[in-house]
Amino acid sequence: MTTTLPQILRSAANKLPNQESFRFGSDSLNYKELDVKTDKLASHLNAKGVKKGDRIGVYMFRSLETAIAMYGIMKTGAAFVPLDPGLPISRINYLLNDCGIEHVITNPNLHRKHRKILEHKSPLKSFIGVRLNTDFETISWDDIFNITLENFIEIPINENDLAYIMYTSGSTGFPKGIMHTHKSGLSYARLSVNLFKINEDDRLASHAPLHFDISTLGYLAGPLAMATTIIISEAHTKMAPSLAALIEQEKITIWYSVPLALVQLLQSNSIQKMNLSALRLFLFGGEVFANKFLNELMHLCPEAKFYNVYGPAEVNQCTCYHIKKPPLKKDVIPIGQVWEETEFIILDKQGRKINNNDYGELAIHSSTMMKGYWNNQTLTNKSTYVAIQGELEKKFFKTGDMVKMNETGDFHFKGRNDRQVKIRGYRIEIDEIEAALLTHEKIIEAAVIVLQKNESEKEVMAAVIVDQSCTIGSKELLEHCRGSLPSYAVPQSIEIMPDFPRTGSGKIDRKEIIKTYIKI
Amino acid sequence: MNKIILDYISNELTNEQLEDPLESGDDLLGSGILDSMGMMKLILFIENEFEIKVPPEDMVIENFMTVGHIITYLENKTV
Repeated sequence: MTTTLPQILRSAANKLPNQESFRFGSDSLNYKELDVKTDKLASHLNAKGVKKGDRIGVYMFRSLETAIAMYGIMKTGAAFVPLDPGLPISRINYLLNDCGIEHVITNPNLHRKHRKILEHKSPLKSFIGVRLNTDFETISWDDIFNITLENFIEIPINENDLAYIMYTSGSTGFPKGIMHTHKSGLSYARLSVNLFKINEDDRLASHAPLHFDISTLGYLAGPLAMATTIIISEAHTKMAPSLAALIEQEKITIWYSVPLALVQLLQSNSIQKMNLSALRLFLFGGEVFANKFLNELMHLCPEAKFYNVYGPAEVNQCTCYHIKKPPLKKDVIPIGQVWEETEFIILDKQGRKINNNDYGELAIHSSTMMKGYWNNQTLTNKSTYVAIQGELEKKFFKTGDMVKMNETGDFHFKGRNDRQVKIRGYRIEIDEIEAALLTHEKIIEAAVIVLQKNESEKEVMAAVIVDQSCTIGSKELLEHCRGSLPSYAVPQSIEIMPDFPRTGSGKIDRKEIIKTYIKI
Repeated sequence: MNKIILDYISNELTNEQLEDPLESGDDLLGSGILDSMGMMKLILFIENEFEIKVPPEDMVIENFMTVGHIITYLENKTV
């Protein structure tokens, strides 16, 4: 029986060795090649003393090496930790220290950043996948692939061992690491393959970067189904007409992304000209898909199935809704019902269980749920609801998402119970941005607001009060934010205000600030 | 033309301070120098600065991968 993620690769390599596993541009690897290359990487890591439970960074733009890195790491019993190459170096350094990462798998095109990382103090001992002219230990991909496998010993892995840790925005100003085991990762892959009937003829588009949890459909469910995953390049994600051409050329059958990527394809007027007959399944999630665009897309691909997929990274996916006909202007698309192996409860404001069809916070228990937050038991406990069923304790993850079930049993998303927002699908804690602003010595108070720019895009704005004795400009403050926040969380603009509008109790009145902003 | 575009990207669009000065052969799209928002701003800038219109179908990798590619594209356009 398959109980770990590396086993799915081994199994695919035995059953369909010549089947294409991953494709990137004109390069591809069949399952046999991927299995051998990941063995070689694992062999190198073993030789470096990497052992079960260790954490290894994956620091690269999407590429074939992404797949090699994640499976190679997992074969050693270590967990892979995606490190977004777009992050400021200070934040990379925080992750290296927080997670105790000693080795980072990477690519040569990040060589400038490698040098900067080495200027900071961290547990890092080597870069793998790049040769740098320094005393620091590095090894190129060519040298990894020249390793012979005579002495390679397979490490026995348990389903409850850690497989990967994904970092996401945390309200304290520091990101938090979501820990997934082989069991939760594999369950997600299995349930996806079952529900969406993914098979070896499928060609999945992997649009999201590895640090974004929806990438796991392509990287984990793809190999389980022995399908082919097409890794979309950074460049293609930025140029919609090129992406539209790629979809046609690669005969993509399954698409999964945030709605914005699809909206950009439609707005560029490029996908309309393509032959999309191979596309049988559209999955989207992370944010609301504006009806007019969804409607247009459904008319373009009348044969394809469309699903609204929902689930915080802590549980992978947990609900989905099959959209059967193009939505009308006023329709509100539900997030649907829980899938296999998943239970839910609804909690009130005080965290007490209420009726399933009452308005409240959704909490999920599932085979796909995380083990907890890395190195943060307090936060793990805070986000867990423990239900006593007979003599058993059952743990539910509190999503923070407010929902209400409709008459057909489908959930509707009704907002957050905290200050988390989604920008281009990325989770951002408003508190984290304010915390980052307040680390600037001249900022006295900061208020971050989110404006709905248009139907499909939101923008982060900040208003600050600064020390009156200084003459600081918003440009310098933006620079400060870029130094510590991921690019999608950096405010589009920062307004320096003499004081904030306040409510009767003296709290910052964010609604008033939004009004001021609209006037500007 | 080359310098105007390089300066605009270096001063206004990059997500962080570049270690070395930006060169016309640097990969703008694949190396994270620009994000998708940055690319849209760059196109707007080019349209205003050089008084041209970049139609959506021209927004392909081959035209915008590096500053060099952009220059070639603009030269072909104005001929």
